[in-house]
Amino acid sequence: MINTMENNGYAQFERNPSLLPGTTLEKTQKTKKYIEHYYKVAVEHAVERNQRRIELERKLTTERGSDERKNRQLRALGERESQFLRFRRTRLSLEDFATIKVIGKGAFGEVRLVQKRDTGKIYAMKSLLKTEMFKRDQLSHVKAERDLLVESDSPWVVSLYFSFQDSLYLYLIMEFLPGGDLMTMLINYDTFSEDVTRFYMAECVLAIADVHRMGYIHRDIKPDNILIDRDGHIKLSDFGLSTGFYKQDQSASYMKPPKSGNTLKRGQMVDSIWLTMSSKDKMATWKMNRRVMAYSTVGTPDYIAPEIFLQHGYGQDCDWWSLGTIMFECLIGWPPFCSENSHETYRKIINWRETLNFPNDIHLSAEALDLMNCLMTDSEHRLGRGGAIEIMQHPYFSGIDWDHLRESPAPFIPSLRSITDTHYFPVDDLCRVPDQPVATPEANVDPRTLEQTNMAFLGYTYKKFNYLTMKGAL
Amino acid sequence: TNSPSSNQPPLYLLQPFVRNHLVKGNFLTIVSLPKYVDLDEWLALNVYELFTYLNHFYDVFTSFCRVDTCPIMLAGSNFDYKWLDNNRKPLSLPAPQYIEYVLAWIENRLQDQNVFPTKAGLPFPTNFHAIVRSIYKQMFRVFAHIYYAHYGEILHLSLEAHWNSFFAHFIAFAKEFHLLDPRDTFPLKDLISVLEEQGNI
Ligand SMILES: Nc1ncnc2c1ncn2[C@@H]1O[C@H](COP(=O)(O)OP(=O)(O)OP(=O)(O)O)[C@@H](O)[C@H]1O
Repeated sequence: MINTMENNGYAQFERNPSLLPGTTLEKTQKTKKYIEHYYKVAVEHAVERNQRRIELERKLTTERGSDERKNRQLRALGERESQFLRFRRTRLSLEDFATIKVIGKGAFGEVRLVQKRDTGKIYAMKSLLKTEMFKRDQLSHVKAERDLLVESDSPWVVSLYFSFQDSLYLYLIMEFLPGGDLMTMLINYDTFSEDVTRFYMAECVLAIADVHRMGYIHRDIKPDNILIDRDGHIKLSDFGLSTGFYKQDQSASYMKPPKSGNTLKRGQMVDSIWLTMSSKDKMATWKMNRRVMAYSTVGTPDYIAPEIFLQHGYGQDCDWWSLGTIMFECLIGWPPFCSENSHETYRKIINWRETLNFPNDIHLSAEALDLMNCLMTDSEHRLGRGGAIEIMQHPYFSGIDWDHLRESPAPFIPSLRSITDTHYFPVDDLCRVPDQPVATPEANVDPRTLEQTNMAFLGYTYKKFNYLTMKGAL
Repeated sequence: TNSPSSNQPPLYLLQPFVRNHLVKGNFLTIVSLPKYVDLDEWLALNVYELFTYLNHFYDVFTSFCRVDTCPIMLAGSNFDYKWLDNNRKPLSLPAPQYIEYVLAWIENRLQDQNVFPTKAGLPFPTNFHAIVRSIYKQMFRVFAHIYYAHYGEILHLSLEAHWNSFFAHFIAFAKEFHLLDPRDTFPLKDLISVLEEQGNI
């Protein structure tokens, strides 16, 4: 600790961090990160706030109307900004939300219908166990999910209003879509008519195109992630696996083919038996096991494109393959490569040339058949590779009014008794899931790991101006 | 010890340390009241955040700002702070105890819906600005003690760029909204002048 003085106001100081305890060094690193994050966000907030103001001021100068009306609008912006400042001081926690029902389950936690206690507003709350995500290195995926949900003003993507965390969980507070998901609908209806299928496929095309436009690849589009809003239109959720273009390769490792030991029993669906099973039986078997698969942490590979398993790289068009498999399931009742276990499914997807078959006891239009064949084909020849427009122009979609699809009446409109009606969700299956996220045995890690985990989540607590004030979410 | 002797300027005023800043540019850009925004909300959020991050720093300091190293809340060789007890009697406290009182006292105010309302529709109290000034005055004392007594440790930890920027931000905000008197800032007046000369604030 020498300071040799003094040369025009210059001093020398021999830094020796080892004079201080290791815990202090760790705390220092942590504090540095907090401070860096603080200023990064402070600048972002200032820039965004400026933009909002300048945008409105510019808009008002080009608009007609009295000065008084314009001043009113500027004051209203100020009020929203002020409201947002207040919200940033508000420390949200689990106690601010009352659970109404558990409505879904995913790999890292559950989805609950909740009500914010002070405002009475209804949301869907997804809880993600931090230690599990950290252990499996899913952080970049969740970050991608959050970024996409936050950035998008797309009507086709579920809105994220805010997120907060405690020591165990990360919580995402999203808009609640009361219509359930396409998986549940398929379980209930078995199959859809061609017209109904056309509607959902057309909406999916626009939704996926929007995700691609924002620079993301979803990679995990499946009926569980296609949610139904109160008017019966779809929105995509679960960007747990989607990833921005630029980092598509670093996160590819998660999708290594499942090891044989790591498979999931799915009842009696062995190929040899299939041959003798009627389509109806096959469908019943598939449906019976469907929910179990959705809840497993391994996930179902049924909808994933072959090139993702092969790991020679893939592009946005992998999402169009998934669309083809979902279309198959809508029309036929099970996805094209379903099998007794995920390893077998994976094998079938790789060998899709031999394994992709359409049952002959189910009538399909020539257009539908052609579209599915154009989607479930190798990436080089896949329809949509040159943009969503290729798919939109396919004869199967002739007559679709693409510009007004979301405003047109949906084939199935949820009939809801209240804003908290959950009868489109498998709430009975989930009745054993506790109302509040709890510490699981996996969560009993030593405090150091927990600390490390929590550092990794720095910056995940998010409050977004637009959604909060513009859309009246507060 | 790293307390400066009387004829040498303290380390925190010397190059290269005084120039080390995490945040480049003038703090005015993030400090001044945004157009159309409510002043009370702006004060409240900034005080809330400055307090939160001061707490993070203090978490680092606890291992070397102890009752045995700092039995008095010094901010200069002949300058110490006294805590006023419930009967407004001045008490001389060890620095860590003083600082913990300060932090707890501020935390209580921040948590109080009547002082820092977070619920929709609740108004700020009429004496809100006076409360903010008294909070600011106490927070300043923490900076003053740390600069005076613990800058050596900050250098060992290579934390000075973060700490200097944080202090510059704190002062820039105070100047903008007249939250501190020259009387309050006296112990660090030389540092504040350098920050002004350097264009940080
Ligand atoms: N915003 C929402 N509104 C209504 N229901 C939702 C919402 N988000 C999710 N759900 C329900 O919860 C289920 C599980 O959600 P989700 O697929 O996002 O979980 P997950 O943890 O991402 O699962 P996985 O990663 O295994 O796909 C969905 O299938 C849906 O039924």
